[in-house]
Amino acid sequence: MAGTGSNTIIDSDMMQFAPLIVLLPMLAFPVILFLGHIFNRNPFWKATMKEGGIIALVVMAASLVISLLLIKDHIGGFAGIKDSVDFLWLNSSVYDGGTLEPITFGFGIYIDHVTVMLLFVASFLCLLINIFSIGYMNTDPVNEDRNHRFYAEFVLFCSGMLGMVLADSFLWLFIFWEIMGLCSYLLIGFYYEKPSAAYAAKKAFLTTRIGDVFLMIGLVMMWDLFGSLDYSVVFDEANIAAVAAESSGTLQWALGMMFIGAVGKSAQFPLHVWLPDAMEGPTPVSALIHAATMVNAGLYLVARMFPFFGSEFLQDDLVDLAFIIALIGGITAVMAAAIAFVQHDLKKVLAYSTMSQLAYIFTGLGCAMFLANTLDWHNDEDAHYIVIIAFGAALFHLFNHAMAKGMLFMASGSVIHEVHHAHHHLHHHDHHDDHHEGDDHHDDHHDDDFDAQSMENMGGLASKMPLTATAMLVGSASIMGLPFIGGFWSKEGIIANAWRVALEDPRFFIPAICVLIGAGMTGFYMSRMWLKTFAGKPKTEVAAHVGPTNTWIKIPLFVLTFVSLSAILFAGMGFTHWAPDSKYGLMSEKSLIDGIAYEINHAFANSDTFFFILTYIAIAIGAVLGPGIALSLYGGNLAEGEKVKAWMKPIIRLNAWVFDRFHFDNKSVANSGLSRALENRLYFDHYYDMAMLKLVAGFSDKSADADKNVVDGVIKKIESGSQSISKVVRSLTTGSARDYILMVSVGALAIFFLLWGVA
Amino acid sequence: MSGVENVEPFGDGFIAALCPELIIFAGLILLIIVPNLGKGTVRIPGTQTRVMWFLGGERFKLTSNPRLPAWIATITLGAAFAQTILSFQDGVDRTAIVTDSGKQLMLVNGFSRVFELIFFGALTLAAFASMNRLEVKGVGPNLSTDDLYNNRRQADFYILMLTCGLGMSVVALAQDLFVLFIGLELASFSTYVLVAFYKETKAGTEAGMKYFIVGSVASGVGLYGLSMLYLWAGSLQFNVLAEQFVINGTDPLPLIAMGFVLVGFGFKVSAAPFHFAAPDAYAGASSPIAGILATASKAMGIIGLLRMLLIVAAPEASEDGTVWLTLLGILSLVTMTWGNIAALGSTNPKRMLAYSSVAHAGYMLAAITAIGAWNWDDSLAGDAGESAVAVLTALIFHLVVLVAFKLGAFLVLSILESDGDASRLSSLGGLAKREPFLGVAMFIFMISLAGVPPLAGFVSKLLVIMGIVKVAVGEIGAQIVAGGDLGLADVHWVWWLAFAMVINSAISMFYYLRIGVVMFFEEPEEGRGGPLPSGWQVRFAVLACLMVTLFMGVASDKLLEICEVAAQSLNYDWN
Repeated sequence: MAGTGSNTIIDSDMMQFAPLIVLLPMLAFPVILFLGHIFNRNPFWKATMKEGGIIALVVMAASLVISLLLIKDHIGGFAGIKDSVDFLWLNSSVYDGGTLEPITFGFGIYIDHVTVMLLFVASFLCLLINIFSIGYMNTDPVNEDRNHRFYAEFVLFCSGMLGMVLADSFLWLFIFWEIMGLCSYLLIGFYYEKPSAAYAAKKAFLTTRIGDVFLMIGLVMMWDLFGSLDYSVVFDEANIAAVAAESSGTLQWALGMMFIGAVGKSAQFPLHVWLPDAMEGPTPVSALIHAATMVNAGLYLVARMFPFFGSEFLQDDLVDLAFIIALIGGITAVMAAAIAFVQHDLKKVLAYSTMSQLAYIFTGLGCAMFLANTLDWHNDEDAHYIVIIAFGAALFHLFNHAMAKGMLFMASGSVIHEVHHAHHHLHHHDHHDDHHEGDDHHDDHHDDDFDAQSMENMGGLASKMPLTATAMLVGSASIMGLPFIGGFWSKEGIIANAWRVALEDPRFFIPAICVLIGAGMTGFYMSRMWLKTFAGKPKTEVAAHVGPTNTWIKIPLFVLTFVSLSAILFAGMGFTHWAPDSKYGLMSEKSLIDGIAYEINHAFANSDTFFFILTYIAIAIGAVLGPGIALSLYGGNLAEGEKVKAWMKPIIRLNAWVFDRFHFDNKSVANSGLSRALENRLYFDHYYDMAMLKLVAGFSDKSADADKNVVDGVIKKIESGSQSISKVVRSLTTGSARDYILMVSVGALAIFFLLWGVA
Repeated sequence: MSGVENVEPFGDGFIAALCPELIIFAGLILLIIVPNLGKGTVRIPGTQTRVMWFLGGERFKLTSNPRLPAWIATITLGAAFAQTILSFQDGVDRTAIVTDSGKQLMLVNGFSRVFELIFFGALTLAAFASMNRLEVKGVGPNLSTDDLYNNRRQADFYILMLTCGLGMSVVALAQDLFVLFIGLELASFSTYVLVAFYKETKAGTEAGMKYFIVGSVASGVGLYGLSMLYLWAGSLQFNVLAEQFVINGTDPLPLIAMGFVLVGFGFKVSAAPFHFAAPDAYAGASSPIAGILATASKAMGIIGLLRMLLIVAAPEASEDGTVWLTLLGILSLVTMTWGNIAALGSTNPKRMLAYSSVAHAGYMLAAITAIGAWNWDDSLAGDAGESAVAVLTALIFHLVVLVAFKLGAFLVLSILESDGDASRLSSLGGLAKREPFLGVAMFIFMISLAGVPPLAGFVSKLLVIMGIVKVAVGEIGAQIVAGGDLGLADVHWVWWLAFAMVINSAISMFYYLRIGVVMFFEEPEEGRGGPLPSGWQVRFAVLACLMVTLFMGVASDKLLEICEVAAQSLNYDWN
């Protein structure tokens, strides 16, 4: 029944260890939970094991090492995808209209360059966030004695993400997707005693569930079309051809349903409402779920659909879906950026920024899908390059964004942690007499008015937290797309491709214009965030007393700063060509130097006049106009005597100069109706709540009544009926051996009767 | 599969073939001698010189330890278990133990090895866990007489465990009715006493007595049947009997004999209506012993049924399936339904598990029925024969993994018994809060019994059902592959047994999940909120059961291979 087999040739020894990447964290989940339960309050467990943090760290490090070894074997080009069935659980067959279809239940590993890239992103960031968590969670008294719950849920989450990336079928993708959904619910609601956190967890769970229901419908439709959800079956050209010939429209609907699932998971319009509230979770959770991993799941799902769009047999059949993907991306990009303008909560700015940047990637994917679906790219070399690079730009932005946003969240966590700490310090001294031993830690985190996450309480932190400020600066620059840093290389690609497609199909002008405007808006809100937090004079006494952060927190910031800065190296190695095309090896066509030169040349001196002008418009909007307005509105010079690191000096000086010279009063804008609408998140939550109350709640009440009276009534009847039958049956067991022997005789007679009867 | 290697008792290869049994035998002797070692002396007759001879007298510190017998028994059974596992490493030989005149007494093959695995595995865990169940008060001059007697009886308990294991494995090896009966009675008598051993309660002795009386009647009836078979065929050899059955299997005498034999084994597997003593016995016995009754003892009964029905009264006996096919189908249906319905209202967890064990007996009988139907149409002997092996594999697999979750559940109850009482549903109240590990473990055992994926219980039940359906669909399966239509009317009636199994599984969910509700959502009984009695041995045993339950649910291929070898080696005997 079970055994080991393989579909394609495996030339990597690491393939057999690949399931460990998922299994190790999954097994660590109960281990940490139980050990934490047993050794709670044990000094060794607390101080040395960090309440399970070290176990999680070891497991995630092991996962990363195995991932890296696996990636190493697949970094070059290889022919086609790899699919190995590592574990077969059950074999069976299904009777399907006259034929017996064999079906297998098992888990396998599917590898192409998209997998490889996301595997690296997920395992690398999970490890860094784990390191960060030890510095963040274990030093906060609020979390004391329950951190093991955090780490247990954390590793299960990581296992869900890694499993989703490695899975070889849409079914397993869905299973791990749901594991992540569960963990995000648990982690967002980590402070479940806070009503807002419990509410946020519920909201995130329910909102993504709406998407998941559609995803499930999509998968069922897909199953109906292909008779399987394995990638090896559904991506098979022959199978696609068979489906395309009969029901390409149904396939588009199936993919559309699956896309709604991605919309929910990646917090896109109109299912975006959960993400900002989800910031109620501890900061490492925000970094993990909302930046680095889970929100990328939706993108990954859409990227996985590429073979359908790229299939010759479905040419021009999926154009509408490609447009919808790009359109949703365009709308969300502008909407989220606009809401980010008015947020005061540091993490919420980042949350909206995440939504906006993911929207960029969706637009990029939508455009790439359009190109793949319309161009004859299998036979035409130039078309092939255009399609691949368009797809690659979106994937590259996914990579850059995950790295930068993970870092930004961790840096924001570092800021919040220290502000909170400073506040606690001051507070503790002020009210020393009021407090009794033991209870002084617990309450002040939640109950008093001071908000450690609000940027209104910060300012001038650049001199006090140099590494954090630097990380935040690099991260912001990468998100904004400042030339030469991180996201610039990918964002320009996405914008260029959106316009390329818009020239082909006028419908695409909407997303194309959206992403261009969005670039400027990103420049504004990211600059605003950095300036309000790090530049200018401290706005509160607390901000003036903030100290540097601890080593556990510094390590990931330091590492990720370098990764974000070295995006040009990745670009130079041909990342955008490598990621979407598994046959292509890194640096296989150009050396690193040539590649970098090519990228720079391509970005700044494009031979095509249209794209040349477009590039400079984008730079002008995104890197000059947006940040410029922010510079004139926020920040200003630091307080007297504060010193910053050399590389931040020019920015502070520039800020001081622009602020002094061009500062203008934006009160009229800030008090306008639009601003208020933005502060209320464009009333989406309001209307959703109303719709819920009006439509769903009434229906729910009715269903509850029906359930209570009709369904429960029937069940209770069955139950009491069966209980009374059971009573009769059991009453035959009298407890007297005499009766038992009588029954044996009755049985013996019955046996004779039956044997004689037959014979 | 090579031919049989014949070995005479104590001849070459005898020790290698019967190694597990000889280990048990050695353990028995040790158990009798070691606790009696002391500073005893003997006077040389006619002199005043006393010489140490180490038997009797004041005991050494080690030998007076009341825990010593438990450890000897556990290590012995564990060694036998390990030896059995090792024997799978380099393929199981077929070795027959023959008399001078060439008659087969015992046959060591894959089939017997798997059942040895079941018996020794279950007994090892039960013996290990019993260390926390049977109280000891230590040693010393200030113990009361009762305590001293209690220390003495430790050895008795574990001796009975070993004889039980020995008897069971003899049943698995037997190739001869006489040997079969000897093994059966050796194991049965041990279990009668073990049930009554729980003398702290009145129910224990009463249950033991009842179990003994009803069991003796069943054994007597069975023995009468065996003697009639001898009268008819003039031999006790299985192979001779099988040959006779092919020739004139529809004679009245062998049919009556088979009927009597079925009564005997029906009691052992607790099939309705011979199961009545089982709920009393399970409820009265200490939980580890009840676990043995529900797993190892049941497996022994299944061996008897398989031997008698599939080897002796072989399917060739009649043209349209075997003579006993209808009988066993009805027996299976009644048993599984009866067990489940009775369990529905049972508020004593042990009685509930006893009835669930009756229901499981019904599932096993359904599997045997399906095997009996393997040549219901001669034209498909090839395909359906393969399906029959699949069912048998599933049945054996089910018996193996049943040890893990059924015994595991009883061991959890054992801890509660030590805590005072486990005879009410409310005794389980709040278990998940009192000790989360036990709560979670018990819940997993319950849902595995119910057959929830991806646990071992699911895989075993699924395989049995799939196997039965395969047999039932038989030739139609081939037609479907060729593009024909599937009609229920063409399917053999054993298909309905699979259907009944599914319905019964759904019913059983109720009482299995109720345990979970009580453990997780209800408060402990008055005065039972405190920590449970300590004891790492029983918790270790529970952990082992839990691991097997989880692991065999997802990675069952090795064990399935072993079970398939076992199934085929029984099949081999048909030819």
